[in-house]
Amino acid sequence: MTVNITINGQPTQASEGQTILQVAREHGIRIPTLCYHKDLSPTGNCRICVVEVAKQRFLQAACVTQAWEGMEIQTHSEKVIKSRKLSLELMLANHPQDCITCDVSGECELQDLAYEYQVSVPAWGSKGGRYPVDSDPNPFIRVDMNRCILCRRCVQACAEIQVRDVWGVTQRGFEERIVAGAGTTMLEARCESCGQCVAYCPTGALSNKMNYGLARAHQVKKVTTTCSYCGVGCQFDLLVKDEKVIGVQSNPNAPVNGLALCVKGRYGYDYIHHPDRLLKPRVRRYLLGGSKKPAISKQSSVISEQWEWVETDWDTALDITARKLNEIRGASGPDSIGVLTSAKCLNEENYLMNKFTRQVVGTNNIDHCARL
Amino acid sequence: MTNRKITYKPIAPEILELAYTHGENREAILEILTELDRRGHLNPETITDTARALGIPAHLAYGVTTFYSMLSLQPRDQILHVCDGPVCWLKRASGQSTVISKQSSVVGDWAKEIPADDWTVERTSCLGLCDRAPAILVNNEQAGPVTPEEAAKVCEGWRGVPTDYSVPRKGEVRVMLANAGKVDPDSIDSALEHGAYDGLKSALQKKPEEVIAEVEASGLQGRGGAGFPVGRKWKFVAQARRTPRYIICNADESEPLIFKDRVLIDTNPHQLLEGMAIGGYACGANEAFIYIRGEYVRQAERLEKAIQQAEEKGCLGEDIFGSGFSFHIHVHRGAGAYICGEETALIESLEGKRGEPRLRPPYPPTYGYRGRPTAVNNVESFSAAPSILKNGAAWWKSLSSYATPGTKLYMLLGHVNNPGLFEAPFGLTLRQAIDDFGGGMQDGSAFKFALTGGAAGTIVGPDLLNVPLDYASGPQKGISLGAGAFLVCDQSVSVAAMLRELLHFFAAESCGKCTPCRVGTWRALEILVRMADGKGRKGDVAELQALSDNMLLASFCGLGQAVPIPINSALSNFAEKFEKAEK
Repeated sequence: MTVNITINGQPTQASEGQTILQVAREHGIRIPTLCYHKDLSPTGNCRICVVEVAKQRFLQAACVTQAWEGMEIQTHSEKVIKSRKLSLELMLANHPQDCITCDVSGECELQDLAYEYQVSVPAWGSKGGRYPVDSDPNPFIRVDMNRCILCRRCVQACAEIQVRDVWGVTQRGFEERIVAGAGTTMLEARCESCGQCVAYCPTGALSNKMNYGLARAHQVKKVTTTCSYCGVGCQFDLLVKDEKVIGVQSNPNAPVNGLALCVKGRYGYDYIHHPDRLLKPRVRRYLLGGSKKPAISKQSSVISEQWEWVETDWDTALDITARKLNEIRGASGPDSIGVLTSAKCLNEENYLMNKFTRQVVGTNNIDHCARL
Repeated sequence: MTNRKITYKPIAPEILELAYTHGENREAILEILTELDRRGHLNPETITDTARALGIPAHLAYGVTTFYSMLSLQPRDQILHVCDGPVCWLKRASGQSTVISKQSSVVGDWAKEIPADDWTVERTSCLGLCDRAPAILVNNEQAGPVTPEEAAKVCEGWRGVPTDYSVPRKGEVRVMLANAGKVDPDSIDSALEHGAYDGLKSALQKKPEEVIAEVEASGLQGRGGAGFPVGRKWKFVAQARRTPRYIICNADESEPLIFKDRVLIDTNPHQLLEGMAIGGYACGANEAFIYIRGEYVRQAERLEKAIQQAEEKGCLGEDIFGSGFSFHIHVHRGAGAYICGEETALIESLEGKRGEPRLRPPYPPTYGYRGRPTAVNNVESFSAAPSILKNGAAWWKSLSSYATPGTKLYMLLGHVNNPGLFEAPFGLTLRQAIDDFGGGMQDGSAFKFALTGGAAGTIVGPDLLNVPLDYASGPQKGISLGAGAFLVCDQSVSVAAMLRELLHFFAAESCGKCTPCRVGTWRALEILVRMADGKGRKGDVAELQALSDNMLLASFCGLGQAVPIPINSALSNFAEKFEKAEK
């Protein structure tokens, strides 16, 4: 079923049940949004996407109003622009004027809209912070509720995407704010630090602790990559500044995961430049000299220096591994060896391990961590 | 805050027991939280436990707790809820030259008069005791009018006397109040002697469609303020295909100036129950709820008692009067939130959530309580139904010669000689209300302006005194009838101060869901506090007008859309005064 509608004087058709916003986007008409996100169920909270519909007393929120037969829509009439401007001004009135030091400046949806509609913080607004800055001890997520515009995207992302229900809304009216659990810390409210709320926050209210203050959007190069932690194959952007990875950001075009990531994918990147990271193979010292495995004395807590890890080259390390595997196979048979492969390996690597185990070693003892 | 080691703790036995007694039903969360509050055990830990016991997220239980103004995380032994509504403000401010501005100072000044050091004093937006203003709630007992002399006696048990409505005023036409004072509200036998449930009996002899046709023919319009035809609403519900269907009575009467539902419940509770049963029969519903505001403790108890008696007599419950029709009514107490009078917010609250309005459409007649077809009507609407069924649609129509048929309960307050409540046909003018029913203006008082309809009504000057009011013509002429209240003010009251009191109310009661209302009411209040204090600045009126326009155009629900009514009417009817206040 289709309905005939008019957007900005242009007659067109919409399928029944489509919202004004969906139709407008199909036709390349941009209606600004803040609380709306395509991944989340629309709520109509922020009132930025209001449009004028002929014969209606009130403006209609485009994100939640379905098109009906004969609907005449004006997306940018004078009335609409005036209302959007004032609603933006009301949001900014409660928003600190700290764009100059804010981490998300440059990729903040509120800032973009304020710029587009040329709205500044009203003279009467921004009477200083109402809430403590960096108020939650979560190790990864930085919370600054002063910057919150109460769009509730974090609440929905937590409930609808991660299904952890950490964030909620407390109080009402002007005192309303976003809260974790029963006014507790995020971790106490069952947070698993996936950072979905950060990815969906349109402002700097929720941001990342690990790279806070390290770089802004225009200062980083984004390198799209696939997560190396497990076999799901989530994609995201590595944020690179001065040839160093300083953070991870969701990539909305990621085919598998969209904006969603887990705590490892989003925050487990610090091993990349970590000084303790292993870059060369290491073997026990006794293996290099060809000596026997030294016994561990039960009396002495001092461990023989023969047990120490020693850096070596790949050829030596692989030779030792091959020799030891051969010894074991010779002494106890091929079924005494088992192989576990990793989701961090490529398909090709896993295939080779399969061939190696079954044909070279001669056992069926092979498994994979992603099979669980 | 720092991260604490998180260890598993079993749910406290007290909470488990409470949850068990409520069938672990998440919709009962408000009852459980209210009980915990009463015991002084409401804190983040018990709230989290409650959520766990009911299988809901902790934030939801916490959000619900902090949403309702009667619940508090602070343990309190003895509580005084002081009414902070405009009528009580007017009563208290009368005779004082200074205008009370901040909410804290209202409660603070007030508390000084009551010798109650160990009592917790809390403000409430409006107690629904406007006929007993200035009113308070002493440990949930209604008291008033509290003059400075009586204030000293409050802690010793003084509660004042409820206003008596048993004797009609001259000129009154009583239908819903016909039995006020004649029936004992706590005895069904007395009610039955006066014809209670006769309307239901005659309804049960008809087909449900015939009942709807009768109500539709009567032209009965909803009395919540919007005036939607009751018959048409019932038809929508009856025609909706999904079942079960529900009936909800909106008794969350939280708007300043309005107390008619309380009087109806106090004078004749069976009339309301009968009306609901008629609605249930017409719509094909077997279950109903009365959502009554938490402050009406006595009225809720009265209703529960009446339901019990009616079920014992077979007037409600299973197989009513042998007709095969069963109807069960439950009383659900709110906990202090004006927004829950908005029907979708009411349904959300009934379902155990924060009372925030839902997206509309879908409307409750198709998608209401638990997603089922639901008829939500006002106490007064239901109370009118029995007489219509008993006497016929033609009789009801004949009561009024104006576009809206039937009678209406009017509440007259302010500087008139006989304030209070009376019943009269539609088409009353403000002047008739004041002179014919209110005994004229008080000595030394001259009419300056009136707030008509309710807090979300119009502020009008003398030029609109002679407009006959009904749901059809009033709004076009710039004077609203709303829920039928008039607050009449004399020369001593400043329009800006009255408007400030209204915005004070709306800012406190905005649910916070949408931006225009959440920040708009707050900002408008800020401006009006200044203007009423004689410190208006250039541009204030223009800003007020812009905020008001935006609230009207862009707000999510009826609350935000209604706030501009008093602002716009005041700004246009008293433009000069506001211009003067700017400088």
